[in-house]
Amino acid sequence: MAEKNLTENLTSTADYISHHLTNLTYGWCEKSQSWGFANHQQNIFKETSCKVSEMGFWSFHLDTIFMSTFLGLIFFGFFGLVLMGAKKGVPGKVQNFAEFVFEFISGAVKSNFHGTSKIIGPLAFASCVWILSWNLMDLLPVEMTNFFGANLVNSEGTSYVGYFKVLPTADVNAPLALALVVMFFVTYYTIANHGLGGFLKEFINPIELVGYFSKHVALALRLYGNLFAGEMIFILIGIMFGQFLLSFGQTLWFIPGLMMNLVWALFHILIIALQAYIFMMLTIAYINLACAKH
Amino acid sequence: MNVNATFFAELIAFCIFIFITYRYLWPSFSNILEARQEEISEGLEAASQSQRKLEEANEESRKLVEDAKSEASMLIAQAGSRGDQIVDEAKNQAIEEQKKIKDSAEADIEQNITKAKEGLREEVAALVIAGAEQILNKEVDESSNKDIVDSLIKDL
Repeated sequence: MAEKNLTENLTSTADYISHHLTNLTYGWCEKSQSWGFANHQQNIFKETSCKVSEMGFWSFHLDTIFMSTFLGLIFFGFFGLVLMGAKKGVPGKVQNFAEFVFEFISGAVKSNFHGTSKIIGPLAFASCVWILSWNLMDLLPVEMTNFFGANLVNSEGTSYVGYFKVLPTADVNAPLALALVVMFFVTYYTIANHGLGGFLKEFINPIELVGYFSKHVALALRLYGNLFAGEMIFILIGIMFGQFLLSFGQTLWFIPGLMMNLVWALFHILIIALQAYIFMMLTIAYINLACAKH
Repeated sequence: MNVNATFFAELIAFCIFIFITYRYLWPSFSNILEARQEEISEGLEAASQSQRKLEEANEESRKLVEDAKSEASMLIAQAGSRGDQIVDEAKNQAIEEQKKIKDSAEADIEQNITKAKEGLREEVAALVIAGAEQILNKEVDESSNKDIVDSLIKDL
């Protein structure tokens, strides 16, 4: 009896975790030879639709794409709106804030980048602001975000209840895309400053090639790993107090649960801002290195 | 960790956001901040310039006051000496006038005296002649006795 309970508990715990870590996926299903939403644990049409793991490369994480674009529009739109109503004279509070952000980033660019480039400022600004907007989503309560996907139903009537990962950074695709853009610019500036020969000469020692790719992959994975782990800890805190809540004392556990979440959230705010900052600084440093005279 | 086509969507979105930042946000922020920087530096420049002007004006006004003071003291001194001169002149003039008046008065007196003497002399001569006529009861020939009378008058 006790053993059975334990197994059920473990299964539901695993479900809970994977529930929170699974993206809302739309893609090409080999099995049914059609495009459609991926089904998850509660799939009842096993013959006609795919699980996420069964979908190939051609699938899209709709939640990541939606959230990242939406957040980008909000944050960049904020700066755009501020600029539209901007005054040349004494700035208001909102304009002052926007200018502070701009000056912070352009200051970081000016003090760390010694070449001449018109794109590095915008690149640093876009990456920092966008990543920060993603990371802030980590502070939304883990249970809340699944409501976004609660009403999605596919043609066969299968519900995708709650499969909605609100944090784009915790999907490795998004940081990788950013890192690829950085890699493109690093390569571009290396070739522009040292010529194609200079660029290829770096790889006389083949181990450099590994370093060249791994530093960009590491750039993405550092961001991804930090935020993924942060999300994971929120989930684990949720599970821990969920289990306590079911066992004894019941609502008594609400307060310590809240406290634990609060403590981790406060600490996590640091990571949220720090990771956006680190990504920006490394971008500047890599491009500076590419522009530097040897 | 499943890499899939989401990657491309994110790539495109990132490129769009970089473009937006590059084309609109970054230049406008730079423009606004540069314009403000210029304005501030101009303001500071103007402030220091006006400070300098103020100092110059102060210096000038101080000099003007000093000049005016020295001029005033010079004028006072001049006026004093001129006053002395005028007083002196007036005194001299007065003395001269006084002398003149005195002289003319003396001359008048002298004249009157001589006139009176003359008158008296004539009267005396007439009296003497009249007296002599009466004494002699006869006509005295004036012309023959004139010498005597004249000598008498002279003796008077």
